[in-house]
Amino acid sequence: MRRGFPWARHAVLIVVSAIMLLPFYWVFKTAITNENIYAFPPRLLPQDPHPYNFVDVWYLIPFPRYLLNSVIVSVMAVIGNVVLNAMAAYALTQNFRAKKLVVLLLLSCMLIPFQATIIPAYLITARIGLLNTYLGLALPLLSTIVCIFIYKAAFEAVPRSLVEAARMDGLSEWRIIAHVLLPLSRPAIATNVILAFIWSWNSFMWPLIVTRDANMQTLPLGLARFLSYMEDTTGALYAFVCMVLAPGILVFLMAQSAFIRGLTHGATKG
Amino acid sequence: MTPSGSPAHLARRAGTGTGWWGRKRTRQAALILCFLLPSLAIFLLYRVIPLGWNAILSFQSWSPMRPPRWVGFEHYEEMLFYDDIFWTALWNTLIWIGAAPVAIILALGIALLVNSDLKGASVYRTIVFLSYPLMTVAVGIIWRWMYDERGGFINWALRIAGIIDRPLGFLQSFDLAMASVIVTDIWQVIGFYMIILLTGLQQIPQHLYEAARVDGVPRHAVFLYVTLPMLRPSLFLCAVIGLLNSFTSFDLVYVMTNGGPGHATELLITYIYKLGFGQTKFDYAAAVTVVQFLLLLALTFLANRLAGGNAGAVEKD
Amino acid sequence: MRLPRWMLSRWFIVPATLAAVVLGWNLHVAANATGEVRGRVVDATGRPVAGATVLLFERSFVVNTEKQRVVTDAAGAFRFQGNASHAVQLQADAPAGKSERVTLRLLFRAQDADLPAPLVIAR
Repeated sequence: MRRGFPWARHAVLIVVSAIMLLPFYWVFKTAITNENIYAFPPRLLPQDPHPYNFVDVWYLIPFPRYLLNSVIVSVMAVIGNVVLNAMAAYALTQNFRAKKLVVLLLLSCMLIPFQATIIPAYLITARIGLLNTYLGLALPLLSTIVCIFIYKAAFEAVPRSLVEAARMDGLSEWRIIAHVLLPLSRPAIATNVILAFIWSWNSFMWPLIVTRDANMQTLPLGLARFLSYMEDTTGALYAFVCMVLAPGILVFLMAQSAFIRGLTHGATKG
Repeated sequence: MTPSGSPAHLARRAGTGTGWWGRKRTRQAALILCFLLPSLAIFLLYRVIPLGWNAILSFQSWSPMRPPRWVGFEHYEEMLFYDDIFWTALWNTLIWIGAAPVAIILALGIALLVNSDLKGASVYRTIVFLSYPLMTVAVGIIWRWMYDERGGFINWALRIAGIIDRPLGFLQSFDLAMASVIVTDIWQVIGFYMIILLTGLQQIPQHLYEAARVDGVPRHAVFLYVTLPMLRPSLFLCAVIGLLNSFTSFDLVYVMTNGGPGHATELLITYIYKLGFGQTKFDYAAAVTVVQFLLLLALTFLANRLAGGNAGAVEKD
Repeated sequence: MRLPRWMLSRWFIVPATLAAVVLGWNLHVAANATGEVRGRVVDATGRPVAGATVLLFERSFVVNTEKQRVVTDAAGAFRFQGNASHAVQLQADAPAGKSERVTLRLLFRAQDADLPAPLVIAR
């Protein structure tokens, strides 16, 4: 409908894109050079690029350990969300007496941001002895209300007759979920995986509170810790940042449409 | 015990079918319970119980070593009348929320530019959105470097352009720190707002625009009288997300300034963290949390009202 | 021969490429990680210095710690074995004087390496 000025529009969008991308470039440039990073004026192009800052990060910081911790917690969160949310959502598609109450409970729980309950959540975790454990890190992330409703909507879109037919054939409830409902709800599963992954991968405040031991720290914590040790004095910090961001950017570029759909879905539903 | 012989029971059974069916139903109920239990347990453990405990804690004097003692409104009194940092943090949180409309307007501009048959629109969309799903801690470090006095791009660009003649310590300055952190926040979330608004724009029926064109309505009027009203739910959704965002922006502030300089960038959430985990004043932190939560509820409710009740954080299923 | 469809999806290609790169890199590392560091020591005029002591320091972000020392042979060459670090500093110490500390950064731990330029004993 809006025609004319395509060049003007391109120009504006290119400026916007430059603003969005420039910080990445700036950090990457710093990560691959060995120059005195405080030299003024800063160079726009990297001087003698080399990868040694990345090597330093790999060996001098327990980067592999942080990576392992992050992966363990994220995998737990993803599996938890995919399985537990599917179970809960399936239960909500059935008719039972307290259903209204449960839905109401879930909807009102959605209004409680996790950050608002951080202190008792910490005290509870301490009391059940899960401080400084993988389970303690992952437990609050194992099930998400938004994702339950995403599953529920997908399950309800599956024709009832199909479920009834499966039940007539004597399939157990587990099998109905696994063989009838889940294969027909693949976008919902993708959304669950993606949301659970970013939430757990990026989660910072909860691990900050729950971990006590450097061996249990996840990547964001390792990054913050490195920052507090070294301040902004070394190119290795920025190499660290690049290494932390790379998996996220890769997954995002590969699953862009599912990502965007998942996030907007997550937002509109919660 | 022979309940199966009693007439009432038989009648109830008759209503649900045979004995086999009745057993099946109990099994079904048990199964539903089993399916719901793990998720409900998690929500109970990490949402409902903490909320209640938090409220109780805020009226107690308590520390991990001492038994609790009821003190009524003592914490609230201290907070509201004697705690300047609390007021600073509250004010900063409100500023943070107030910055959301700026981001939304910028995002709307980008969305309008991207939402058309422009070539390469999807590339721009990807680039603008890219920063959103990334780790906030890393984003904070990236922007610390952008703002750096000597190695940072922004100081360099401003000096080249002749706008300043001495480097500015953006994050060390009382006047600029808050704005600088907010700019970073906008940079990160703007892509998300854009996507939401884009989804909203694409849901506006095309025939409205065609009708407007046939009637010769000028373009700005089309925007004011067609696009904006149709976009209202998306806009308010963005506003609510901005609202929530102000309560979850702990990561960014923690990494970039840790509330400093002084308390110039202290948000309620960072203040709560410092109180609870820095000074182990869990009880007092709980009281601040209650205020924060009530503020959030009130603002969400308000936003919902303004949006006509259909575009809040909760969309009824 | 047609490849099955799942092999053409980016969810297979990208992880498979990454796995191949990681595997190849690890093989390369395994083949070249004997921890040998070789180099030469010369004086200011470029003649090899025999009998100079060469010190090897391991580098971290804040400190450098001395790990080994060897003596150069008649051709001024030296060779360290069993270096376990990925970043070392070398310094030669001869009766005539000392060289500067030269940093040698490696791509992985215990990589075999030749010092690109000889250590020069300053007057």
